[in-house]
This record gives sequence, C-alpha cells and structure tokens, in this order.
Amino acid sequence: MEEFLVFDKVSKSFGDVQALKNVSLSVKKGEIFSLLGPSGCGKTTLLRVAAGFERPDSGRVYLDGEDITDIPPNRRKVNTIFQNYALFPHMSVWENIAFGLKVAGMPGARITEEVNRMLALVHMEDQARKKPDQISGGQKQRVAIARALINKPRVLLLDEPLAALDLKLRQRMIIELDSIHDEVGITFLFVTHDQGEAMSLSDQIAVMNEGNVEQVGTPVQIYEAPVSSFSAAFIGDANFFEGMVSRVEGADYSRLSIEGFPEVLCFNDQPRSQGDLVYLSVRPEKVRISRDRPRDDERVNMVEGAVEDVIYLGSHTRYWVRVDQYRLAVTRQHQRFQLDEKPVTWGDSVWLSWHADDGFMLQRYEEKDEDLLAFLPEGEE
Amino acid sequence: MREWLTSLPSFIWLTILFVIPTVLVFAVALKPADPFGGVGAGWTLDTFRDLGDPNYPAIVWRTLWMSVVATAVCLAAALPFAYYIARSDERLRPVLLMAVVIPFWTNFLIRIFAWKVLLHPEGLVKRLLVSFHLVSPDVSLMYNEGAVLMVLIYTYLPFAVLPIYAASEKFDFRLIEAARDLGCRKWRAFYSVFLPGISRGLWTAALVVFVPALGSYVIPDIMGGPASEMIGNKIAQRVFVDRNLPHASALSALLTIVVVLPMIVYLLRRGTGESGKHPVVEAGP
Amino acid sequence: MKRSRIPLIVAVICFVFLYLPIIVLVINSFNGSRFGSVWGGFSLKWYARLFSDREVWFSLRNTLIIAVSATALSVVLGTLAAFALHRYKTRLQVLHYTLIYTPLVVPDILMGMSLLLLFVSVAMPLGLFTILLAHVTFCISYVAMVVLARLQDFDWSLMMAASDLGAGPWTSFRRVLLPLIMPGIVSGGLLAFTLSLDDFVITFFVAGPGSATLPIQIYSMIRHGSPPMINALSTLLLVFTFTMVWTSQRLMRRTT
Repeated sequence: MEEFLVFDKVSKSFGDVQALKNVSLSVKKGEIFSLLGPSGCGKTTLLRVAAGFERPDSGRVYLDGEDITDIPPNRRKVNTIFQNYALFPHMSVWENIAFGLKVAGMPGARITEEVNRMLALVHMEDQARKKPDQISGGQKQRVAIARALINKPRVLLLDEPLAALDLKLRQRMIIELDSIHDEVGITFLFVTHDQGEAMSLSDQIAVMNEGNVEQVGTPVQIYEAPVSSFSAAFIGDANFFEGMVSRVEGADYSRLSIEGFPEVLCFNDQPRSQGDLVYLSVRPEKVRISRDRPRDDERVNMVEGAVEDVIYLGSHTRYWVRVDQYRLAVTRQHQRFQLDEKPVTWGDSVWLSWHADDGFMLQRYEEKDEDLLAFLPEGEE
Repeated sequence: MREWLTSLPSFIWLTILFVIPTVLVFAVALKPADPFGGVGAGWTLDTFRDLGDPNYPAIVWRTLWMSVVATAVCLAAALPFAYYIARSDERLRPVLLMAVVIPFWTNFLIRIFAWKVLLHPEGLVKRLLVSFHLVSPDVSLMYNEGAVLMVLIYTYLPFAVLPIYAASEKFDFRLIEAARDLGCRKWRAFYSVFLPGISRGLWTAALVVFVPALGSYVIPDIMGGPASEMIGNKIAQRVFVDRNLPHASALSALLTIVVVLPMIVYLLRRGTGESGKHPVVEAGP
Repeated sequence: MKRSRIPLIVAVICFVFLYLPIIVLVINSFNGSRFGSVWGGFSLKWYARLFSDREVWFSLRNTLIIAVSATALSVVLGTLAAFALHRYKTRLQVLHYTLIYTPLVVPDILMGMSLLLLFVSVAMPLGLFTILLAHVTFCISYVAMVVLARLQDFDWSLMMAASDLGAGPWTSFRRVLLPLIMPGIVSGGLLAFTLSLDDFVITFFVAGPGSATLPIQIYSMIRHGSPPMINALSTLLLVFTFTMVWTSQRLMRRTT
C-alpha cells in the first residue's frame, strides 16, 4: 500500500507554545491511523492541519501525492467528525446530511438518493425529520458520520469522536465505526487520548507528546515494545526500575543489576552493551504473584516481596508489593480455580515472577525522567 | 479591514450623536446665555457660579437621598422576590418572570398615570385610607416627596428584580445546604454564602435603579410639587420654561458628574462577566 | 429543610404592588363614570372617543414612522457592531464596547439634553428627523448587546463544519451563522421597536412643533386632558405590550 496522507516536517506555534515540532508522519490508504496522546500533545492541531483549519508555520501536507497545504478546508477532499459533532441545530437530520451535496450543487433527486443511502448505512432512516436536539448522543454521532461520509472524502478525520459518549455507548460505537470503515474503505485519521479506543480500532498508532511523535507502530508493537518511557507509561501501566546492563548474553538477552533485586534477565529489543544505563519496565499484568516459590526456570525472574495493598476491581485484583525501595503494581485476573485458594492479603510475603521476554528496557539518562514521574501507575506514592 | 468596515458605522454614529453632544454639555455650560434663548459668544464661569444659589444644594441633596432610598427599598424588596422566583417550580418560573417583565415593558407614563389615579384625592387609595380613619380627608397623598418616592420605587422595582433573579438562577443552592451542613444558621448561610454568590446581580440592580433615579424628571414632574423637585426638573425648566440652555447645561454637567461616580464604583466592583447584563437586555421585549 | 416564608410573602406583596394600579386603570377604562371612584356602569364610550380623536391618530402615525425607521437603522448598525465586538479583540473594540455600553446607563434626561444642544448648535430644525436620530442612537446599544449575547452562545465549530463540508465563507454565513443568530437580531429589533415606541424623555427634548409622538400625546393628556381617555389608551397599550412580550418569549424559547 502506498503512502496516502503525508505530513512532512510540519511545525505550528500558537504564541509561545509550540504545538507541533517538525512532525513527519505518513498514513497509508485505507487504514485507521490514530493519533494518541495526552491533552496538549499536539494531536488535535495535527488533525486541524490535515483539515485545513490551521496553516502550518513550516512543512507541507500531501494527500495522494498532491500538496494540499494551501488549499482551504472547503476545497479539500477530507471531512471531519467534530468532537461535539457540530451538527447544525437549525437543520433536520436529513438537511444536515444533505448539506455538503447541496453546497456542491448536486441535483435534488440525486441528493435524496445519496442521503437515503447514508441514512441506511448509519441506521437512522426513522430519524431523518428530527432536529439534532431531539436525538441521543449516539445518534448524533451517527449523523455526524453520515454527514461527513456522504461527500466521499478521501480521508475522514475524527476528533475525539467518542469522548462525549458514556462507556457502554462508546464501546458500541467503536464496533460500529470499525464496521463502517470496513464498508466504505476510506482512510481514517483518528484523534484520541483514550488508549483503549486507539488499541481496539487502529491499524497504526502514533503516540504524541509535547508536539513530537514518540513512536509509530501497530497497537501490539506500541504496547509490547514501547521505545520511550513516555509511550511505556502512557499506554497501559508499567513498573519501572533503574538498572544497568551487567552482562550481555548473546544477541537476545542481557542481565541487569537492579538495587534490591537478584540479577534480572531481560530480552534485548535492540543491541545493548555492558554498562548501559537503562530502565527495566514490566507491565503489572505480566507479573505473577504467588505464595509459594515458583518452579525454577532460567528465563523467569523471581523476587520476594511483601504485600502492602490489595484492591479488588471486579474483573481483576491489583496488588501493591514492596520490594526494597520499589513498590510494584501487580494485576491478577480472577479465574475460577483461584477462588478456592487462600487469598493473598495485606502483609503477606509473596513471590513475584515474570518471564524475561515480558520485560523491556528503555534508555536511561543521568537526569531524572520527568515523563516517567508524571505517568507512574495510579496509587503510587 | 473587515474590522473597520463593521465597527465604523456604529463608531461614527455614536461619536457624533453621543460623545460630541456630551462634550457640548460641558462646553455650553461655560457659555453665557443670550436673551433670545440661544447661546451667547465668549466664555464665562457665571453659570456655574449660579449653581451656588442656595436653591440648588437642597435640590441636589434631595435628588441624592431620594435615589438612595428608592434604591435601598427596591433592593430590599427585589432580593426576596427574585429569590422566590428563582426557587419556585420550574414550570411556574417563566410565568412569574413574565409577570415581572410585563409591568417593566408597560409604557412608563402609563404606570405613573396609574398611580396618579390611585392617589388622586378622589382615588381608591385615598378613599380606603380615609374610610379606615388612617388619614384625615384633608391630607393630600400627592404632590409630595412620599408620592414621588413611591412611584420611583414602583417604576424601578422590576429593574432591580431582573438582574438579581438572573444571578440567583445561576446560583447553586446546594451551597446553602453545604453551609447549613457545616453548622451555619439560616441567616448566616444567607448572608455569608448566598449574598456573596449573587453580588454581581446586586451591584447591577443597584446601578440600574440608582442612576436613572438620579436623572428622574417625569416622575417628580407629575407626582411631585415644588417642594419635591429633583435635578431633572430643574434641567427641564431651564430648557422649556426659561429657555436658558447654558444654565440647563451646567445642571446637566453637574448631574453627569453625580452619575459617573456610582458607575465607577460599579465597574470596579462588578469585574467582568455576563451576569451584570443590563436588565433591559436581559428581559428582552 | 424548612424554607422561610418571607420570600413568598414579599413576592405576593410585590405582585399586588405591581399590578394593583394597572388593574384599576383597566377597570376604569370601562367605567361609564368620569370619576374613577364611582362605578358608572360598563361602557366603551372612552374607547369610542379615543378612536375619534385626530391628535391621537396623528401622534400614533408619527410614533410608528419613527419606530419602524429607527428599528431598521439600529438593527443594521447594532448587528454590525456586535459582529465587530465579538470577532475582534483589539484595543479599538475595547473603546467600541465602552461607546456601546455607556448609553445604556446614561439617564435619559442627559441624553435628551445633550442631543438638543447638538441639534441647536448645528441649527437643525427639531422634528421627526431629529427624533429619529435620537432614537437610533439609544437603540444601537440595545440591539448590539442582544445580538452580541446570541453570538457569544454561537458554536463557532459549526462554521468550521460548514467549511469542512465544502461551503465557502459566504455560504457558511448565509446558511449557518445568519439563521442561527436571526432570533437575536429579531429580538434586538423588537427591543429597539418597543423602546422607540415608549420613549418619552429624550423625544420630548428633541421634538419640534407637529412632531408629537404617542408618549408626548399621553403626557399632554395626563397634564391637561381627560383621564378616562388615557385609561382607554393605556389599556390598549397594555394589551399591545402583553402580546409583544408573549410573542417574543415564545419566539426565543422555540429557537434556543
């Protein structure tokens, strides 16, 4: 697949704030591409640059090989789903959807035909006469999608489209968006701060922070092999330990020395050499917790600790376990057979273990990592 | 470019028909009068010196105290009144509000006239009072300061209700419950939580009653007598009876200064924000 | 929590205070007797007399001419001003805002007096035209404030949505912005119309011979004329006010 929507070294400042710092990204045709990051990371600005609402200070934007940087929004073949949907309150659902075609001067009979087709696509045939304030949030969402798609955009831009919906509806709309995408096959550029949305919808995710793209990859790559402490901490929870590479074991593994831990084995996602300063990161759900010492396995790391807190969360339980200076988050899913066990509780002495392949190393510099401090898992002291 | 295109029309209009005339008031006040009702040549301070005439301080003083009393009574009545409307049932609220807005939009000459009819020697109020032996038949209810004050209050009460209502409606009444929960007694919760919460509305209400009251002319003209004249009456007399424009200007200049002071206080207290909207704008027609 | 009864009591007293004079006035307009204190039987004779009064009709004609033209002019000027105030956040607009806001709080008598001085000093003959100029001057501010409030509620992402869907600036303005702020412009216009219709003090200062408006006519009737006829006229105006307030509230509620 070729590169379809391309941002080439795009920068944009608002006053003293640099919203985009030399951002380059390319989105392939037909994929769902998410821009993920905390508020203020520049993701919405990038979307607005794609829509034409913001002109970049420098850099270019290409759509299917054509430079669209200077084309005004009304003449770009891209359409946007706005965060609050921006449905015209004085027009009915039908008129909202027909707006783009009317403006383009399409004859009435064809407009009717197209609008009816779109209404069917989003299952809103019965609501066509209603005004936007007479329909529910999920229905507004669908009207917004139909209104954008009817213009046959080459890229559909979605600005936090699910943020205004409640959890249940959000989950349903994710599935619906996905099936609409399958049906129309248009490229989606999706802005969100919700990692769950990004993970479940996207083919590719760009993690953004402070106007930079930190990492681009598939959801699995981003989750399993984050390349920066920011991606690691922003996507899912993670425990971090300061360590140093004490020995490199072949191409695949390194041994790390971490204060308070026995020597830890960790998979090399990139070449390491002895003496490298690193963070070891392990996600809470990758750590096993048990009363008894697990069976020895050379690929499994083990450490003993004391349980400090137990939080029952329904589908799983979160434990906070003290190991020397660290307080580790550990998550355990509940399974039927475990209910018979004597539950682990406050003050218990436990064994924590994780496979060497489940940890990942991030480069550590001498100074404190601010991103890390800001994104420690909830409940950390 | 667009900014100039959209701003200039109103800018020019108001400069010519509002700013320049206001400056003219001060300029003409420094001119001598000519005997034919026009404005003479040269400059003089005589007109302002004439304001030292013992008549005027009394009138200025009366204008001030009547406006203060009218404002105080309006606020005192409007506060529980607006509070009641704001706390009433949501379906009832628009009806009550409309009931306040209708007298507000009734032509104000008619409202004054209605009181003239009531307080008239043959009017309903007078007859009731006499029949209950509350006043003697020879007492006149009209043409005195009391009658003027009464109609001032009647005219400006809706002006005070609307901004206080607008502020109360936005007030989060759970705060009062919170204060009660924290051990406040009723009155304490009222004046240390509710009043500060609607202070902007109160200040707006005070301004929109006090300033027009200072400039009253028709009310004392119809309801009052020579002993209840206010500055406005004097200005009108100088214009329509004596045809002495410089003198009328000097009085207007004086009134302008008196009006500007409370406005400055108001602007300082109000800060910025929208709950200080003018009630006429708030009420819509 | 038990609520205090005081607000209710004050509210009842206030409503009686506000409506008693008006009700007495309306009842008296149907009173056959000349004297308000005696009931002379139901009669429409004061209305009949009112309708045959040529001066009343003449002043009504003047009032309408002025109200309609003042409304038209002030709606255009005020709406433009509101757009400028909303759209631009420059020093010029701070000054502009002050210029628009101040007339709202200046007592009528000062405005009337200062306009009179202006017209006298440029030797403009007093009459309908000077009244019109004066009315537009105070109406601009009210229209601008009402439209501005509507603009502040306007969701500007709708304009972005329109342009995203292919509408050029003019189409977006005509199809999205204008229909949505129309209720603001209409109610600004109604406000201007009502204010112009009602104004007495400013009009009195800048009116000339033969340019009496209805409020001026009422004033001279109060001073010299027959009270029962004023009762009848007042009742008609009350009905008019009531209808205006009612329709405009309906209008505002339907569109917000």
